[in-house]
Amino acid sequence: MSQATESDERLLIEAAQKDPSRFAELYEQNFHRVYAYVARRVRDRAETQDLTAHVFQQALANLGKFKWRGTPFVAWLYRIASNAIADQARRKVREVNDQPNPVTEASAPTDIEQVERRALLFQAVETLPEDQRRVIVLRFAEEKSIREIAGELQRSEGAIKQLQFRGLENLRNRLSEN
Amino acid sequence: MAERSIIDQLDDAVSALLAKPAVEWPVEDPVVASLVGVAEELRGLPREDFRAQLRSAFAERDTMSTPKMKVDRIPQNFPAVSARLVFDDASAAIEFYKQAFGAEEIMRLTERSGKIGHAEIRIADSVIMLSDEYPEHGAVSPKTLGGSPLKMHLYVDDVDQLAERAVAAGASIVRPIADQFYGDRSGQISDPFGYTWIIASHKEEVSQEEMQRRLWAWEEKQPQEKDPQKHGRPEGFHSVTPYITVQQPGELIDFLTKAFGAEEKFRTTGSAGGMHAEVKIGDSMVMVGGAPHIPAMPTAIHLYVPDVDDTYRRALDAGATSLMEPADQPYGERSGGVEDLAGNRWYIATPFVPLTEIAKDLRTVTVYFHPIGAQRFIDFLTNAFGASELMRHEGNEMIMHAKVQIGDSVIELGEARFPSQPLPTAIYLFVDDVDARYEQALKAGGISMQPPTDQDYGDRNAWIKDPFDNVWYIAAPKAVQ
Repeated sequence: MSQATESDERLLIEAAQKDPSRFAELYEQNFHRVYAYVARRVRDRAETQDLTAHVFQQALANLGKFKWRGTPFVAWLYRIASNAIADQARRKVREVNDQPNPVTEASAPTDIEQVERRALLFQAVETLPEDQRRVIVLRFAEEKSIREIAGELQRSEGAIKQLQFRGLENLRNRLSEN
Repeated sequence: MAERSIIDQLDDAVSALLAKPAVEWPVEDPVVASLVGVAEELRGLPREDFRAQLRSAFAERDTMSTPKMKVDRIPQNFPAVSARLVFDDASAAIEFYKQAFGAEEIMRLTERSGKIGHAEIRIADSVIMLSDEYPEHGAVSPKTLGGSPLKMHLYVDDVDQLAERAVAAGASIVRPIADQFYGDRSGQISDPFGYTWIIASHKEEVSQEEMQRRLWAWEEKQPQEKDPQKHGRPEGFHSVTPYITVQQPGELIDFLTKAFGAEEKFRTTGSAGGMHAEVKIGDSMVMVGGAPHIPAMPTAIHLYVPDVDDTYRRALDAGATSLMEPADQPYGERSGGVEDLAGNRWYIATPFVPLTEIAKDLRTVTVYFHPIGAQRFIDFLTNAFGASELMRHEGNEMIMHAKVQIGDSVIELGEARFPSQPLPTAIYLFVDDVDARYEQALKAGGISMQPPTDQDYGDRNAWIKDPFDNVWYIAAPKAVQ
């Protein structure tokens, strides 16, 4: 993170501490990274969404306690996420005793680089040309089949496959630019 | 197995990946392999609605917990009142306004189907909100309603330039740009979506008293120009009168009398040495003329009568041949057709509702054109004579039927579909200003047959042939010239 954005972030946190309406900006800036972090640990989509929501709710509730010490805000969010995932895993273990020990898995060192890369990828989707973006979102976020997407967008299946190809190609190129 | 394209190979791998993430799908092509890598990372892409809902959950909480938070009750850059227009194709409308008026798109919210639920555009300093149709919520477009009672008013620096730009983008001129008594130079255009725009540039500061004075002065001039009785247009005539030219006009008048109860009002020798006669059928005047040495111009007429079956029978008795026996038509009338001895075609009809309910100025004798290129014909009428389209019915990508208002008359037309149909005809057209209309008709593509001339029978008229071979006698009684 550059000096400029670091001090921007500090100002934003201080602003949000005084006026919670500014929290939405922190949320926008960090959403993809928190989501990617959680998604990496938790496979299930509903669970990923619950945990992501939980992380931001916790962050908002405890924002007043956050002290700026030069580490990025997202590191604090990752810690909240890590604790939340571990708590959830422990609860599950108590519920179902014969599962392998997920606590170990959840507390394993997280490969932050992978998470950041994935967050960048999620963000990059938003910069795709509109028709490619819609196909990628419907395919990977809504998990629809090519046929369903073709029906929804009133295009041929061949056209949808081609947009999927171009979209993935663009995303690959954008990732390699970063 | 035929080799699959890399696009299909990629989709095979993506489908496998989404269905069974644990099983690795063999991919040989290195390009496809690299893209499958991206696809793996994309698995679990957050849903947009989840992200938006979570954000709004914070937003709601914020508003409740922080009364100090400043939300502009009237959003910045919004006037208090904005028009909210409904379109049959909102996306196309946004494009049109960009091209025609230099509008700037502020935002649009689309359903997944692509339907626009809400959009905002800015034209100069004003905001217009718009959407596609939602009839279930009372949001319907002028196309569905068949018109709009709302007119938009747009001030610009250079109204002439704007009109040109709007027409190039697909608008049509309803009232030409002209200097107005209240100090504006303005005119009206109709956009392709059924909204009328008054476009104007302010040219002169005029006090309210002066405006009032000019309005009264203008009013005083109006009745003489507008009322056909006062300006001497012959009694019973409206803007459009068919001029049926045949080689035996006397014979035709006999037929019209027997078949349609025509009343002869006037007969003389015409300027070309043939007969000129005027007959009344129902509430309409028809001019009949010609001579053996003058080429005939048979005409098609939609003849609205009280009893189609009776009239049809009388027409056959008077010597016509049947084109079609009377039958109920899905378009709201019972109609049949005959051709008289001179080749004129009479589409005899009794509509299911009173004529004036179909169109205010629809009368017994309604000229029916069969141009090749109906849209161009309508454009010609609009540009040459200030006509306006009242309705159209399209099918097979052509105009099957349309009604067009010219002055205080209505004409009908349908794209020519049979070799016998183009049937170019002649029309005697009463206008307010022969010279101006003549010039306009030439600009619209008409060919001059005779420039404006004072005739000794009391009219000043000019003759032009339109690009569809119809002849228009543009006329006004000399008294008002």
